Amino acid sequence: MKLHLAGLNHKTAPVELREKVAFDAATLEASLNELTRIAGLEEGLILSTCNRVEILVSAEEGANAKQCIETFLESASHVSNGKLAGHLYHHEGKEAIHHLFRVASSLDSMVVGEPQILGQIKAAFTAAKSAGAAGHDLEFLLTRAFSVAKRVRTETEIGSSAVSISFAAVELAREIFGSLKDKKVMLIGAGKMSELAARHLKRSGIGEVLVTNRTRSRAEQMAQVFGGQVVDPDKMLSALPSVDIAITSSGAPHYILTQDNMRPVMAARRNRPMFLIDIAVPRNIEPAVNDLEAVFLYDIDDLGRVVEKNLKGRLSEAKQAEAIIAEEVDKILERIEARKITPLIVKLQEQVEGWRKAELERVRTKLGDLTPQQHEVVDALVRSLANKMLHGPMSELRASVGKPEGEMTAEIVRRIFRLGDS
Amino acid sequence: MWSLFWLRVAAALYSLGLLQTLLTLFRRGEKLAAPARTAFSLGVVLHFVSLVERGFAIGHLPTTSVYESLSLCAYFLALTHLLIAKWYSFPSLSFVVFPIVFLLTSLASTEIPTAGWADPGLRSAWLNAHILLVTFGYAAIVVTAASAVFYLLQERHLKAKAVGGLFRNLPPLGTLDSLTSKAMAIGFVLITLGFFTGSAWAFVESGSRWLSEPKVHVSLITWLFYLLIMYLRVAAGWRGRRAAFLAVYLLLFSGLTWVSHSGLRPLLER
Repeated sequence: MKLHLAGLNHKTAPVELREKVAFDAATLEASLNELTRIAGLEEGLILSTCNRVEILVSAEEGANAKQCIETFLESASHVSNGKLAGHLYHHEGKEAIHHLFRVASSLDSMVVGEPQILGQIKAAFTAAKSAGAAGHDLEFLLTRAFSVAKRVRTETEIGSSAVSISFAAVELAREIFGSLKDKKVMLIGAGKMSELAARHLKRSGIGEVLVTNRTRSRAEQMAQVFGGQVVDPDKMLSALPSVDIAITSSGAPHYILTQDNMRPVMAARRNRPMFLIDIAVPRNIEPAVNDLEAVFLYDIDDLGRVVEKNLKGRLSEAKQAEAIIAEEVDKILERIEARKITPLIVKLQEQVEGWRKAELERVRTKLGDLTPQQHEVVDALVRSLANKMLHGPMSELRASVGKPEGEMTAEIVRRIFRLGDS
Repeated sequence: MWSLFWLRVAAALYSLGLLQTLLTLFRRGEKLAAPARTAFSLGVVLHFVSLVERGFAIGHLPTTSVYESLSLCAYFLALTHLLIAKWYSFPSLSFVVFPIVFLLTSLASTEIPTAGWADPGLRSAWLNAHILLVTFGYAAIVVTAASAVFYLLQERHLKAKAVGGLFRNLPPLGTLDSLTSKAMAIGFVLITLGFFTGSAWAFVESGSRWLSEPKVHVSLITWLFYLLIMYLRVAAGWRGRRAAFLAVYLLLFSGLTWVSHSGLRPLLER
């Protein structure tokens, strides 16, 4: 078996190309069948997400898998000949394993550390298995990839840092409220940034969205996007006590929320925590509001600092993750080599066992009638002799796995014991 | 002596009010609210009967002994509460008044020592129940205080906007707040039951002497402080930072009470 991985991702191909190559979930099984029907390819897996399309195959030794996959991708995606070539990457053997482990651990993702990719690979593997395209080789490899990804996630903090401003806002909201399920958010000012943050919050399961904006039509438009309600700007303050998260992004030249008008709001909330996100420049919320009890006010710079800190942390975490992956790649290569040597060891044992039985049979006719006791002694003698002679070559074979002299040792054993080719 | 009998009946009626207070903590108070109010008013009437009888029996205003003044004080408190409830809308006041009236009235009704334990098995079972209730109550208070300390740390960290680092793995603020209030409420129920079972035990055990024990005073103060905290939380909406500080003080008070009671043991092994 030899592993090959080829495909394209967000770094090598623009979205216009990626969307053409992407595989449809409905026809995935047919595509998998088509892939494994190609001569020379034994097992295959198709990973197709919005950021990458990758084909992983286990091919026969010496097959031109690279060419096979490229042709397959071109024919499957209706991209005219040659257009794909510049965007494809191809890895084989150790490199392919390394790449797979990095992808599974989300080191190759657009947002490094995002958690979805592992689930996508698991789904791709399940599809390949149920289509009969993935067998022992891929099972062995993918199972390992899943546990490597898990190890990276538990031993580093790569998955726990927020990168974008709006993502950071959601993370902070989680740190304050825990579950966002029945929390209410109010967008004060309907800018692009607050829309983005609201979208993130919505995806994290926020309960209700209120929108208030000077231009009512824009507020209505935005409320419709989030299935929320429009609040009249005059009634903003009276609606605020029921709001858990407020995002301000209006173009007002003065503070909309001050310490003085927030104090009664907090009293009405009975000091339940409130998270204020001020992404407007100039700012919409007086900084002194943060001094009120149970109010957590973050302006755009505070959020920026959170993001920056997370990015820094993420770089060092990524280094750690790469080290883990390198270590795991070495481990799995050793095990793959060990798997290769297994047929030879079995053959060796069978050869010696055959000799033992034949000799025993031959000698028995010569010796004539033996008592059961004598028979047992002779049997034990031959058996222990065979085991002693096998011990040396077998432990040498096992010890040389993965080392440069491994292939040579295997060849010598093969010749000495007359094992032929295997 | 009929006066004492009526006082005890009144105390029994007031106990419904205490139960109502405990249930309020778990938002189960509505069902009992009306019966507790009726029982309380009935208690006030019988309490008055008890006072009048006592007055006639001794021929003057019953304020000469500690018990008499306790009874009178409890009566006026209960009466005032009824009037306030009639004139103002102040429903949360009953949260503290009910337990305190019950406490004072039952203290006043311990004037004459009982005959002692009918059965030694009951004595030790009663004592064990008291010890278990209080010990579990202490455990709940420790949980409350620990979660309150985490709350204060997490709050400080969020206010300082120093995201990441040491505090990353703390639970969210909301989770800590709800843990604090749940543990605090459970602790209050256990400590209240423990406090009253303990008082009853001490009363039966040592007659009227028990009131002069300093550790009884310490427990009484701790329990009243606990009641006050719960009131602030339920009625005044004290939560978050202030409630967290109160929870830490509560642990200190309870520690003091426990220390004063660990001296009890040699006394029990008689």
